[in-house]
Amino acid sequence: MKGFSGRIGLVCALLVLIFTGFAWRLIHLQVLEHDQFNAIAAEKHEQRKVLPARRGRILDRNGEELAVNIPVRTVTADCTHIKDPVALAKVTAPFLGMPEQELAEKLSTKRPYVVIRKEVSEDKAQDMIRAMEKARLHGLSTEEDSFRSYPNKEMLCHVLGYVDGSGHGKDGIEKVFEANLAGHDGFRHIEHDRKGQEIVVYRGAEQLPDKGSDIRLTIDMGLQAIAEHEVDEAYKTNHPVSATAILADPNTGEILALASRPNYDPNKFNLAKADDMRNRAISDIYEPGSVFKIVVTSAAYNEGIVDDKTRIFCENGCFSYGGKTIKDHHGSGDLSIPEILMKSSNIGAAKIALRMKDQMFYDYVRNFGFGTRTGIPLPGEVRGEVIPPHRWDMITKTRVAFGQSISVTPIQMVMAMSAIANGGRLLKPKLVLNVGEGSSGLPEAPVTEVVKQESANYIANALEKVVSNQGTAPLARVNGYRVAGKTGTAQKISPHGGYLAGRYIVSFAGFFPVNKPRILGIVIVDDAKLGETANYGGSVAGPVFSKIGEKAARYLDMDPEPGESASRVGSSTAAVSVR
Amino acid sequence: MSRNRRKTTNVIEVNFLARMIVLVFLLGLAGLFFVYLKNQQHAVGNQAREMEAELREAEAKNAALQAKISSWTSRGALQQRLDEGSIRLEAIRDTAIARVTPPVPAEADGVLRTASRDSDVRFGPGVPQRILKR
Repeated sequence: MKGFSGRIGLVCALLVLIFTGFAWRLIHLQVLEHDQFNAIAAEKHEQRKVLPARRGRILDRNGEELAVNIPVRTVTADCTHIKDPVALAKVTAPFLGMPEQELAEKLSTKRPYVVIRKEVSEDKAQDMIRAMEKARLHGLSTEEDSFRSYPNKEMLCHVLGYVDGSGHGKDGIEKVFEANLAGHDGFRHIEHDRKGQEIVVYRGAEQLPDKGSDIRLTIDMGLQAIAEHEVDEAYKTNHPVSATAILADPNTGEILALASRPNYDPNKFNLAKADDMRNRAISDIYEPGSVFKIVVTSAAYNEGIVDDKTRIFCENGCFSYGGKTIKDHHGSGDLSIPEILMKSSNIGAAKIALRMKDQMFYDYVRNFGFGTRTGIPLPGEVRGEVIPPHRWDMITKTRVAFGQSISVTPIQMVMAMSAIANGGRLLKPKLVLNVGEGSSGLPEAPVTEVVKQESANYIANALEKVVSNQGTAPLARVNGYRVAGKTGTAQKISPHGGYLAGRYIVSFAGFFPVNKPRILGIVIVDDAKLGETANYGGSVAGPVFSKIGEKAARYLDMDPEPGESASRVGSSTAAVSVR
Repeated sequence: MSRNRRKTTNVIEVNFLARMIVLVFLLGLAGLFFVYLKNQQHAVGNQAREMEAELREAEAKNAALQAKISSWTSRGALQQRLDEGSIRLEAIRDTAIARVTPPVPAEADGVLRTASRDSDVRFGPGVPQRILKR
């Protein structure tokens, strides 16, 4: 009996020990090591899922899409859940466009997160998931992603910029407005089952994504297409180093078109050369040549140093000053201010400058916006170079008067010409109409009155003669409209000092209609391969301006001016019909 | 004897038993209801997940199609198709244009010769003249 009780006691003691052990283990798991095991469980089943924000679109002023997002999927694998990598690779490889063996190798690791392939189309990703479900395989999942697409390819590439592989803007509007376009990613804490599917009941805290704002530019793609076509033609015909055209509204400073060659396709930015990606409208400086005569003439007129009765003796085309000789293309005697502009007399411009005080002339140059960044919202704008009076030698002032010894950017020249067109107000170039539903998000720049309206109008009327048969740019005329403009032909600066013989940067800057300007444009052709005798602003850049102007006027359905006849047959634009 | 037998008889407390049975039944019912609700919750959760996935899929397909439309109707693509001859430009007939602003005649002869409205200039010879007279 005693032995029986002892055995019972032993069994009981053993059971007590066993259950004590279990209890201890339970306490160990649930209390002492709770945090550690909780973390392991959380790592395995809990996830902070990123809800990507949609990047904002870039639109032209009429809502035409210039940069859009194409939704794609990134296929990832949790290799800890994959039992048969070979079978999984066999089912999914055709959808991923990968060799089975390569995929199987990637799936054979034991890592919980492996990116298998990016930019898989939505359709293929869905088909792949269905095929996996049918074959009762799991381990692969997809994540939302998108890539940036530029439907117009090369068109407007220097303004739009591009987005790199990680989705960040790297140039142009994409870079400057990165914060507005990108938005903010959201998140959601989720738990998933062993198949990797979310258990919705255990969904934790979440924050919805804040999508990026759409940006509406001032660019009009109709005008942009016209400018691109004509610049392209000029580039193919004249084989220059570069060609640039800018169209703007002189009353508001809105940039309507900006085309430059060489260019690149932002969809394939990794194939582009650095030179192709440079926005020459804002980052290239050049000596403007005679276009700059608008500054000295308007400044002198504004100060009363010259008036409509002033006549300046132009030395019959050869003027020695400061030990150097200034020459005109065609020698002339006495010329009025409009005639100096019409014949583009260097001597006339130099003599006007000599009548002005150094500081006064310099101040006007700076007031017209030269030597200062215009503030256009694009990266890489340079300020140009204006030499201050204390560094001038005897001849600097005379050279600056006709656009030498000064470096400007095309956009600066556009804004300076705008001041002449709009009655003397220097505006800040505007490239963005609005960000999201609001305004441009950029502070409105103060408008500076550079010259009085009377002075601006006087110079504008004088510039109309430049496109007359006696002027330097009859080929820049736009049928049906009175055009004012100025040619520029400047020798290229040699990197070794001095000028390069026979190599020119030619330009034409003009606007129309003269009375009520709606379009202002500049065309710059750098080093056209035409030979010295044919390479002039009036003969190379002028015709490009004329073609752009004619097509732009038709596109905008501008009322022609009475008395201005249409004499030239242009190309047509009309409705598109599908054959 | 009979007193002793009476002493050893256990009384069944029907009321207590009934209460306990009802309590256990209710507890069981509550447990089953809890499980039912939990299952329902998971089922609804799965439905919500599937619905969200469908919505996301539809949204993504819509965005992909919109991007395709943008790309096919972009100026560059249309120009390429124009060059290939798949599409062509056709003059808009005069009768198909409704103008809101009245035409402005030239001062001299009242004939409007414009770059933008002269059909010869616009579309080349052969297209009916659009010179407007007042």
